[in-house]
Amino acid sequence: MDGYAGNMIYADLSTKNVTVMPTPAELKNKYIGGRGFGIRILTDTIDPGTEPMSEKNALVYATGPLTGTGIPLGNRYEISTIAPLTGAAASSNSGGTFGWKLKKAGFDAVVVTGKSEKPVYLLLDNGKAELRDASHLWGKTTSQTTDAIVEELNDKSVRVACIGPAGEKLVLYACVINEKTRAAGRGGAGAVMGYKKLKAIAVRGDLPIKPADEAALEAVKKRVRQKIEENGISKALHDYGTAVLVNIINENYVMPTRNFQSGHFANADKVSGETMAKTILKKPKGCYACIVQCGRVCEFEGESGEGPEYEPDWGFGPDCGIDDLKAVARANNLCNEYGLDAISTPATIACLMEMAERGYVSHPVRFGDVKGMLGLVEQIAKREGIGDELAEGSFRFATRYGHPEYSMSSKKQELPAYDPRGIQGYGLATATSVRGGDHVYGYMISPEILGAPEKLDPYATKGKPQWVKTFQDLTAAIDASGMCLFTSFALDAQDYADLISATTGMKIDTAELLRIGERIWNLQKLYNIKRGFGRADDTLPSRLLNEPLKEGAPAGLVWKRDEMLDEYYALRGWDKNGVPTAEKLRELDIAYVDVTRGTGAKTAVS
Amino acid sequence: MNMTGTQDRISITVKSFATLREVMDSQITIDIVAGSTIRTLLVELSLRYNGLNDLLFSRPGVLKDLVNILKNGRNIQYLAGLDTPLDNGDLIALFPPAAGG
Repeated sequence: MDGYAGNMIYADLSTKNVTVMPTPAELKNKYIGGRGFGIRILTDTIDPGTEPMSEKNALVYATGPLTGTGIPLGNRYEISTIAPLTGAAASSNSGGTFGWKLKKAGFDAVVVTGKSEKPVYLLLDNGKAELRDASHLWGKTTSQTTDAIVEELNDKSVRVACIGPAGEKLVLYACVINEKTRAAGRGGAGAVMGYKKLKAIAVRGDLPIKPADEAALEAVKKRVRQKIEENGISKALHDYGTAVLVNIINENYVMPTRNFQSGHFANADKVSGETMAKTILKKPKGCYACIVQCGRVCEFEGESGEGPEYEPDWGFGPDCGIDDLKAVARANNLCNEYGLDAISTPATIACLMEMAERGYVSHPVRFGDVKGMLGLVEQIAKREGIGDELAEGSFRFATRYGHPEYSMSSKKQELPAYDPRGIQGYGLATATSVRGGDHVYGYMISPEILGAPEKLDPYATKGKPQWVKTFQDLTAAIDASGMCLFTSFALDAQDYADLISATTGMKIDTAELLRIGERIWNLQKLYNIKRGFGRADDTLPSRLLNEPLKEGAPAGLVWKRDEMLDEYYALRGWDKNGVPTAEKLRELDIAYVDVTRGTGAKTAVS
Repeated sequence: MNMTGTQDRISITVKSFATLREVMDSQITIDIVAGSTIRTLLVELSLRYNGLNDLLFSRPGVLKDLVNILKNGRNIQYLAGLDTPLDNGDLIALFPPAAGG
């Protein structure tokens, strides 16, 4: 055994053909799993000219070898697709217990292509697969869908990843929700499921997941458990959740406020993790094998749900000028129920708020308008009224009204909860992110604000390109492995290499781990170049490059793209246009890729 | 020392966050001797709040790795560390190890 389930499943929704095949050795050896599997399969099988909303687009749900093996925080699965919001090959990551159960059902990955005429869901059950009618589920929210499938199968061990009404309505940033509250959020994989009429994937099983070297793995497990438990960050995450960041980011004056018009929100503490712990928090909750438990089970006024995490807390809070924690939690619950990305949704609403205040859009909503904000979430999910325009994301919305500069996005994907003007390396990471505006493809907040693994001056640009490259490559490998990214606050590359080696039997050292991550990054980059992305896309909104922050220590700063981008490209072995050189492709063993057309690869999946 | 022979005092606002709030007020304003540094402020606070010292320091005079202290929004790491001088009206933010995402 090697930590893998051993098989992958291919479901063509057009023909209703469902095929089980062994997981190819090349995929395991060169791409590990998760994001690596997803990007390699997408780039092998989908012509770069493919529209996101088309039968030819694919959805790849992939676990990693460390998913479900009892390793602390080893619970992730990744959904990769051509994202409708950006048009880029992208992936999004989720926890909970779905990934573990997918492997227990016998599968490392699921590849879905085609388009069904009627709504269906895919049931994976102890090595078998079945497409089932989902007509009765269409229109239901994610919790209703989950409950209905569990009831239909009369088995509470079933886990469900599904879309809500937003995915059915093809909201470009509709997400996929597993277990009612865990989201593969970014880019719009939920809309691709909606287009394909795939309402859900349900998994159950009790097949074994065995590592290659149990004794070696137990020793590494013990070591990483101790490091995570002893790391001070773990306690804060358990006690206050990810929203512990609200005050940290705000006190650094890099809290995007009112659509990035300011870097400081006076009432931030009212929506902080500390306030949440004292008011609406019922208990912390963790994913499979989690010893941190950063999830929040919150209850208030007869309503219960999970979250808000830091990002939606910021989005519906400071970015919309709102300091009402219950309203923020309610908006977050709506996102979970409708299946909306809880970053792009509030960021798009904040864009409308600013444009309405400036008179560019005739709409009554203003910053701080709780009722208006909550109504807009509903309208977006249902594509009602102005919600139909907002469902296209802030960039298309702002462009429609002649002012794209008010979309705080990169590659048409809304930026997360940090102002790059006061965190230069983070700005480079999000501008060069191959999936568009992002914080978890290379979390530079960790060294630049939190001080892990070491403190870096957030205002400095010197040395940042190398840090960004290393973080991006390491994160790609972590996302491929099936580990939660939050382990990276406590663990280092050697820990991940040892975990993968003991689990899979492959002998991977830190250099090889980073090389695999770099391979994934470059393949995704190459493919997106073929989809039309270039140097001009590796940037941030003009506001962040030209309008200095006005308050606090970072006052006067803008994001300094020109001081970092060329060096970053050079360190990556890319030319001035950001195109990987032939030498770099040979080094990464992906020289088979024809930059001018198609990947030219022999498909790895057949 | 001023003309009357007493030491000039300055007023500093200190905010605490996350687990630090378990041992100290979330926000206080204190008067300390002019010319004080972050180091002297932390000594003052540690005397006032039982348990604070252990949350901030790994050993005498050495902050824990992931503790962050901001002076008016700037991490003291990039000023003069614990020897960063304090000015009247400064806002000092104290953070224990914490992260999110």
